[in-house]
Amino acid sequence: MSILAIETATQVSSVAVLTGTKLASELTMQAKLTHSETLMAHVEQAMKMAAVKREEVEAVAVSIGPGSFTGLRIGLAAAKAMAYAWEVPLLGVPTLEVLAQHFWSTDACILPLIDAQKGNAYAQPFSARAGRLQPEGPIAVQSFGEILDWAGKEQRPVVLLGDVLRKIEGKFELPANVHLAPAHLRMPRAANVAVLGAARLAASESDNVMDLEPLYIRRSEAEVLWEKRHGEGKS
Amino acid sequence: MDEILTLGIESSCDETSAAVLQGGREVLSNVISTQIPVHQKFGGVVPEIASRKHIVNIMPVIDEALRKANVTKKDIDQVAVTYGPGLVGALLVGVSAAKSLAFALGVPLIGVNHLEGHIFANFLADRELEPPFLALVVSGGHTALVDVADYDTFRLLGQTRDDAAGEAFDKIARVMGLPYPGGPEIDRLAKEGDPFAIDFPRALDKAGSSEFSFSGLKSAVLAYLNSEKMKGHEIHRANVAASFQRSVVEVLVHKAFDAAQQAGRKTLVLAGGVASNSNLEARLTEEAKARGIHFQYPGRILCTDNAAMIACRGYYQAKAGHLSDAYLNAVPGLNFGV
Repeated sequence: MSILAIETATQVSSVAVLTGTKLASELTMQAKLTHSETLMAHVEQAMKMAAVKREEVEAVAVSIGPGSFTGLRIGLAAAKAMAYAWEVPLLGVPTLEVLAQHFWSTDACILPLIDAQKGNAYAQPFSARAGRLQPEGPIAVQSFGEILDWAGKEQRPVVLLGDVLRKIEGKFELPANVHLAPAHLRMPRAANVAVLGAARLAASESDNVMDLEPLYIRRSEAEVLWEKRHGEGKS
Repeated sequence: MDEILTLGIESSCDETSAAVLQGGREVLSNVISTQIPVHQKFGGVVPEIASRKHIVNIMPVIDEALRKANVTKKDIDQVAVTYGPGLVGALLVGVSAAKSLAFALGVPLIGVNHLEGHIFANFLADRELEPPFLALVVSGGHTALVDVADYDTFRLLGQTRDDAAGEAFDKIARVMGLPYPGGPEIDRLAKEGDPFAIDFPRALDKAGSSEFSFSGLKSAVLAYLNSEKMKGHEIHRANVAASFQRSVVEVLVHKAFDAAQQAGRKTLVLAGGVASNSNLEARLTEEAKARGIHFQYPGRILCTDNAAMIACRGYYQAKAGHLSDAYLNAVPGLNFGV
C-alpha cells in the first residue's frame, strides 16, 4: 500500500508516492508554472511512474502551511477530494516541519523559513537527534533582520533553509554561526510530506476531510484592517 | 431516458455549491452554501475570506449534494466545474477539487463558463425550452445580450462598456447606507417609491446598439445624492431607489427586445443574479406580452450562483465533446466565447 503526498505551499510543486518504506517516485519542480495547472498532471505521472493504482493508495498526505494561501488551498482541495473519493485517511503536515525533515540528526539548530512577504518569514526552530525532529517553539512571523539577530545569539550553529533564502543571501550580513542551506535543501519536498504523513498514519492519526483548513498563521488583511477600524474586542 | 449523472461544482464568488443532475434537465440536488453573512460587515465580498470559506465548505457541500440526490460517488459519470469568470482564489478551490475528484473517480472533467451556466439555468426552469433564443445576462459583474443559436453556439451581441448593472446597484445601495448585497435592498425599497420622482439619465439608450453603459447613471445618482445633502434636503431614499431602478430596467428591457427582434428570435430568457429583481421580471413579462414574444426567467434559486446550472451547461458541453484535461486552470477574466 502507498501514501500519495502533495506539497504546494511555496513555488515548489512536489508530488511523491511512498510504498511502505520505499520512496517509489517523486516529481519536484520549481518552474514558473502555476500549481493549478500542473498538480493533477503531476499526481497522475507520479502514480504512473511508481506503478501505483488508485485503489493501492492507503492515505493522502498534504503540506498544510504556512505558505502561499492560494497554493495551500490548491493542494488541500486536491488532497481532500482524493481522500474523499477513495475513502482513505487525509494527513495534514506542517510545511516548516516538511523543510526541517531534510535533517535527520545534527547538533545544529534547524531554522526553516517560508516567505511571509514584505521582508518577513514564517519561522520555527527545530532540533533533530537521531531521527527525532522536535519543534523548539511556536511558528512566528518575523522580519529577516529579527530572524538573523535571534540566530546570531544562539550558542550553536544555526542552519537556515527554505527558498526565501534568496531574499536574504548577499543582502544581509550573516552571524558567524549561521549557515544557509544549499539549493537542494531549500525546497519543501513531497517525499518529506510522505514520511511525516506515514508517521501520523502509524500513530493512527488523521484529519477530517470535511473541515481541515490550511495553517494560515496570518489572518486576511481585510479582517486585520476591519478590527483596526472598529477596535478589537469592542462589539 | 438519459441516465447520465453530472456532478456540478461552483465556487466563483461567495457561494459554494454542488449539484447532481440526471440527464440534461433533472436536478436531483442543488446545495448552495452562501457566505453573504460573512461578508456583510465588510460591505462587499472580500476575496481572501471567500477563498477561506470555500476550502472549508467544499467537501461538505459535495457530500450533501450526493446524499440529497441519493447517489454515491461511484455513480457519478462526469464532473463539471466553473473555471471563470470570478475571483481567482475562489475559483481555484472548486477547480482543484473538481479536477482531483474527476481523476480519483476516473471520470471526465468539464470546465464550464459561469456566464453560460447562468443562461443554462433556464433549461432547468423550463424542461421544454430549446434553442434558439436570445438571452439577457445581468449579474454582479456582467451585463450582456447573447444570441443562443443552439446548445453550443453563442454570439455576444453586446455587453457593458463600463460597470455592470449589478455593480451600479451595489454601489448606489452602499452610498445610501443599505446593507450588502445592495441589489435586493434597492428592489425592496423601490416598491415604496415613485419611479418617476427623479429623472435620471439612460445612457446609451439609442436604438440599434446592444451595448450598455451604467457608469453615467451611477455618477448621476451619486451627484444627486450629494447635491441634495449639500442643500440640506432630506433624501427620499425610496424615490431614489425607484427612479434609479427604473432607469436601469428600462434600458435593459428596450435593448433586450430590440436585440431579439434584430436576431429574429421569438424567445427571450433572463439570466444572472440581477434576474431576481422583481421589477425587471415584471417589466420584461409585460413587454413580452405586448410584443408577442415568449419570455422566461429561471426563478430565484436558479438565478443565484448555483452548481445545477453548471452541471447543465457541462452536460451539453460534454455531449458536444468539449471536455477538459488535467491542466484546466481558473480564468478569472473569462467572457463569452465569441
